[in-house]
Amino acid sequence: MRLMRIAIASSVIVIAALWTADAQGPATQRTAEPAPRFADGTPNLGRVPGEKGVWDVPYIQNMGLRIPGPDGKTAAERGPAPSESGGRGGGKAEPDVPFLPWARGIYDYNSKNNSKYDPEGFCLPPGGPRLMATPYPMEIIQQPEHKRIFMVFEGATHIWREIYMDGRPHPQGDSLNPTYLGHSVGHWDHDTLVVDVAGFNENTWLDYYGHPHTDLLHVVERFRRLNKGTLHYEALIDDPGAYSKPWTVAWNIPWSADGELTEYICQENNRYLQKLTDDFGQSVISGR
Amino acid sequence: MRTRVLAAATGIALLLAAAPAIAHHSFSAEFDASKPFKLSGVVTKVEWQNPHTIFYLDVTDERTKKVTNWGFEMGSPNGLMRNGWTRNTLKIGDMVTVEGSLARDGSPYGNARAVVLASTGKRLFAASSQTEVQ
Repeated sequence: MRLMRIAIASSVIVIAALWTADAQGPATQRTAEPAPRFADGTPNLGRVPGEKGVWDVPYIQNMGLRIPGPDGKTAAERGPAPSESGGRGGGKAEPDVPFLPWARGIYDYNSKNNSKYDPEGFCLPPGGPRLMATPYPMEIIQQPEHKRIFMVFEGATHIWREIYMDGRPHPQGDSLNPTYLGHSVGHWDHDTLVVDVAGFNENTWLDYYGHPHTDLLHVVERFRRLNKGTLHYEALIDDPGAYSKPWTVAWNIPWSADGELTEYICQENNRYLQKLTDDFGQSVISGR
Repeated sequence: MRTRVLAAATGIALLLAAAPAIAHHSFSAEFDASKPFKLSGVVTKVEWQNPHTIFYLDVTDERTKKVTNWGFEMGSPNGLMRNGWTRNTLKIGDMVTVEGSLARDGSPYGNARAVVLASTGKRLFAASSQTEVQ
């Protein structure tokens, strides 16, 4: 009993410490240098010449706790949620997420089985805002001469995305082919990179906790480098197929000054998939 | 005394620097955080591969002397290297002690949170995904 009390107390300390680290971002305090810029004044969201560095994408598991409230703070920034000690609360614990009934049902199912069928467990990529919530390093490479920006992800299955900065619209109708990462077009709103994404397939979840989306998903992302060490990320999730109105999530991504990307091939030895069973205890892959 | 406090503070800072842990799949669907274990044995195999490095230990039951081969899952090689590991940190024949959480299916398999090498006493953070923060 005493041991258990000690264990619980330690967990609370660790969770509180992690929460503090996540909410305030230790890197933010260390690197309060101003955000770097290119010669024409455009913010540089990547490295400066002669230096290393990557964005240390945080592990955001539940976007339902990342919705800024009237005070600008998210539930995660206010403190550990009650559900962290008592397991997951499903849709009813998240009054700020405007679920449609079917989406809430799916979310409750994913909550009850601890995200067992998370597509990332299959080594499939995250789509939409989860790209900025899967905890592997990421780089942003701007090519103004080509009017495009690349985002390169070590994890999230070793993928990249291209953001067209040349003013083109999204393809219309059947020309908009549904994909994991969707079609991204961007522009600068003062110092904020605004990226409009459409054309998602339905093979991904919005987050680890399992908020679903449909192929009607439309995401508007806002990237702003607050200082050299901090990238503020905000995403409007607009999916009339799964949610009754758009909702916004936000968090900070710290800069890791000595980081570099390395190889990560998720499919190499994925034992999780080999062991995964369905709700009836049958192997998920043996029937193929 | 002051050194010890500093060392402890450094340890905590290192632990925090290591978080967030590298996550690939659902921790709680496969492992049970309420079933912690601490096991010692001899390394029989190391799979230094993605998405998780897995190593195997022959663990001898002190009472029955029965030997069971256990598997332990850690983070990706990248995550481990960022925590000070190399592919040669664990070698076949090494004596180690592992702490972590047991698999839900009851098999001799677990998620390793920390590994201590008997030869050096060095405690290595295993880049485990057992950090259910939101």
